[in-house]
Amino acid sequence: MARTFEFHGGVYPPERKQRSQGPVRHARLPGRVVLRLDQHAGRPALATVAVGDSVKVGTPIARRDGMISAALHASISGQVTQVDRHTITIDGDGVDTWQRLTPLEWRTANAEQLLTRLEQSGVVGLGGAGFPAHIKARVGERQRIDTLVVNAAECEPYITVDDLTLQQYALDVLEGAQLIASLCGAKQIVVGIEDNKTEAISALHQAVAGSQPLSVTVSVIATRYPSGGERQLIKTLLNRDVPDKGLPADVGVLCQNPGTLLAALRSVRDGEPLIERLVTLTGEAIADPGNRWVRIGTPMATLLDEAGLNRSVLHQLVEGGPMMGTPLADLEGVVTKTTNCLIAATRDELPPAPPESPCIRCGACEEVCPANLLPQQLHWYARAQDDAKLAHYRLFDCIECNACSYVCPSHIPLVADYRHAKTRLRHQRLETAKAEHAKHRFEWRQARLAREEAEKQARRQARRAKQTTQQTDSQATSPQADLRSLRIAQTAAKAAVRKAEKNLARAAQQDPQQPHDDLEIQLATAQENLQAAEARLAEAREAGEPQETP
Amino acid sequence: MSMLHASQVDDRTRLTTTPSTGDIMRWVIIATLPGLATMTFFFGLGVVSNVVLATAFGLGLEALFLRLRQRNLRSLNDASALLTGVLLGASLPPASPWWLIGIGMVAAIVVAKQLYGGLGQNPFNPAMVGYALLLVSFPTYMTLWPAPQSLWPDTLGSQIMGSISLEQIDALSGATPLDAFKHKADGLTASQFWANPPLPPGTLRAWQWIAAAWTAGGALLLAKRLISWHIPVAMLGSMTAAAALIYVFNPENAASPWLHLFTGATLFGAFFIATDPVSAATSQRGKLIYGAGIGLLVIVIRTWGGYPDAVAFAVLLMNLCVPLLDIYTVPAAAEPRSADRARP
Ligand code: SF4
Ligand code: SF4
Repeated sequence: MARTFEFHGGVYPPERKQRSQGPVRHARLPGRVVLRLDQHAGRPALATVAVGDSVKVGTPIARRDGMISAALHASISGQVTQVDRHTITIDGDGVDTWQRLTPLEWRTANAEQLLTRLEQSGVVGLGGAGFPAHIKARVGERQRIDTLVVNAAECEPYITVDDLTLQQYALDVLEGAQLIASLCGAKQIVVGIEDNKTEAISALHQAVAGSQPLSVTVSVIATRYPSGGERQLIKTLLNRDVPDKGLPADVGVLCQNPGTLLAALRSVRDGEPLIERLVTLTGEAIADPGNRWVRIGTPMATLLDEAGLNRSVLHQLVEGGPMMGTPLADLEGVVTKTTNCLIAATRDELPPAPPESPCIRCGACEEVCPANLLPQQLHWYARAQDDAKLAHYRLFDCIECNACSYVCPSHIPLVADYRHAKTRLRHQRLETAKAEHAKHRFEWRQARLAREEAEKQARRQARRAKQTTQQTDSQATSPQADLRSLRIAQTAAKAAVRKAEKNLARAAQQDPQQPHDDLEIQLATAQENLQAAEARLAEAREAGEPQETP
Repeated sequence: MSMLHASQVDDRTRLTTTPSTGDIMRWVIIATLPGLATMTFFFGLGVVSNVVLATAFGLGLEALFLRLRQRNLRSLNDASALLTGVLLGASLPPASPWWLIGIGMVAAIVVAKQLYGGLGQNPFNPAMVGYALLLVSFPTYMTLWPAPQSLWPDTLGSQIMGSISLEQIDALSGATPLDAFKHKADGLTASQFWANPPLPPGTLRAWQWIAAAWTAGGALLLAKRLISWHIPVAMLGSMTAAAALIYVFNPENAASPWLHLFTGATLFGAFFIATDPVSAATSQRGKLIYGAGIGLLVIVIRTWGGYPDAVAFAVLLMNLCVPLLDIYTVPAAAEPRSADRARP
């Protein structure tokens, strides 16, 4: 067995994974689906269908907007009955007719074809962040990747999607891993899995033998939350430290979870866009728990009722796990590409948080923090809004794993404080970016007006000069020089666009849940600059030509 | 936000349960029971009356001030005021008069805690603030330790009510070993002193049993992981080392390390006072320095200062250093690893 390493901190919450262990089943086909346009990291998709359109399973219904965004497909066949700013609703015809893309053989297809396919299929990270898979796979173009890590740790209590995915589809997951590894240029594949998933581990061991062409290592790691955090997992498996504010790619690693790899393979091999996913249905308020294939957009109420939800004992519905998931106020939600688990908990199961008492500086939080932060200090400074200190204590390195609030004897909702502070700081940054963007536009417009005015003036003068003396001693050399400097400007603007793209890709990957409008704006600004530079260059060429020809 | 909390989890899975803040305080109170029981055994029910009065004052004052500050009275559940009462009660001479205890608790709960913003905000250990104030203001009352006596001394009631004169109590009192040694006659060497110590019979034995009982309570706290070993070990270690050093150079005049460790408030202080998380340093390195500083100060004050015991002052002085210690002992891993690298 591969050697593993230790990460700092961590906690041992109860696992509660037993209830959802049964074999994977398909949920009943929903009569209606509501597909959210914002179910991935980055900008919401733009609807491309209208009310009344007929769609089949897999028909594209929304396209990506901006760089970090993803396409969306109909998940049932039927008719579009509503399109608004946030959602597209489809009423099913009950027939389930499909529209697939042409299957590709990934071993022979070229990289561009595969990346386009991933993008067309709307494949995003299914582990929770929803980061577009094609952007992530492209990281190999900018940085050298040597290892693809398959993140099957699944350390959150309750959730068993990855576990069951591996139990039932280990071969396909590994093939998907080979595919993605070939795209990003990785030389080896390492699967990290916690030692409490014995069946998945043996399925993996069987599948590894036949997996080609890269060698696959199955690394069984100790069960400890949050071993599935990317940094923690990379430390545990490879003993590499992802630098602060860095990405796994900075240490040559790309992480994907089993579900995403399976979806990637299906989109390529079977031409199936991402229209369904595996969801763990669990919690004591459900009579028939387990993992189901669920069409994206299925209303949660439908799904839970089918699984035998007892509303009278339902105390808290949670999307995701109990540590990092989102408590839902009602049953009105729909399944999205990132819904990995629904917990319908009774009051005894997930009792309401006890009232908060003051921090007694016991240091328990610090002991368990996997990011090596001082949660207690962050808590003081977040409440005091001391931004300099927050930066000093690396607030933005907090992975919001909640290990600290889990152990805090004073029941302080530490992570809520951090989120507040982060939101506040992000907001400040966004405002600055917006202001800069506006200023930039204004200055640019002023400059353009001034330039046009000057040109007009020059032409007028030239005309006047022509009329009087017919002399042609005007700037004979200047168009050439002008052209050259404009070309340089255009190259610089191109570089700026590339840089802005890179920054956005990095930031979005680090913080997929957050909007990165500041960086999207920067990218837009850079693109505007490039357009302007190109326009000016074209203008100058046109203007220069008559003078160049004689 | 986390919907699971360690203090609420009772699955039969392997997990380290962590208690809530109220549970921690209650466990510390439970851990004081062996010490209190042993003290009561040797010095009578005056120990119990101290604790009862101090906790009553503590809860009353805490409730009053939570009201005044318009806080939720549920905070009483954190048992921190109760604990402060127990600790101050255990520090005072048995059967202290009610008004003395009252003044001490006002200093502890009102001044040292609530005026600083309540639990968690107090830079000083509340019980020790109360104790130090009383020691400075009412030195005579504070040094009137009874000789080992029956469980229910006749004067108990009148002592508590303060209706008995100082001279009368004085007559009932003996010196503590540290006190007696400190004030031994000039020219008397240590061996001469110990040959015939001017102590009521059984005093030394009583103090040693009490020290052992506090140690048992401390062991419980360590076993339950409610305190970490750093502070007690550092404090006792530095005390032993400093006392031994002085003793080696001056065996005829200095108290032995043994006397320093097993009499007075040393072990009580090491396990129950210095370890108060709120007013102690937080990082492991900080805790070691903090504990060692207390130990050193105790020896320095006992040897060259005016007070026979010095745990309270040593703790308060080191409380003063905590902010500094916390700044300079940030665990290396938690330090920013690179200076700048602003987000792109
Ligand atoms: S665990 Fe809670 S009480 Fe303890 S130091 Fe951290 S924030 Fe304070
Ligand atoms: S939530 Fe943040 S501060 Fe708390 S333990 Fe996790 S990484 Fe550390």
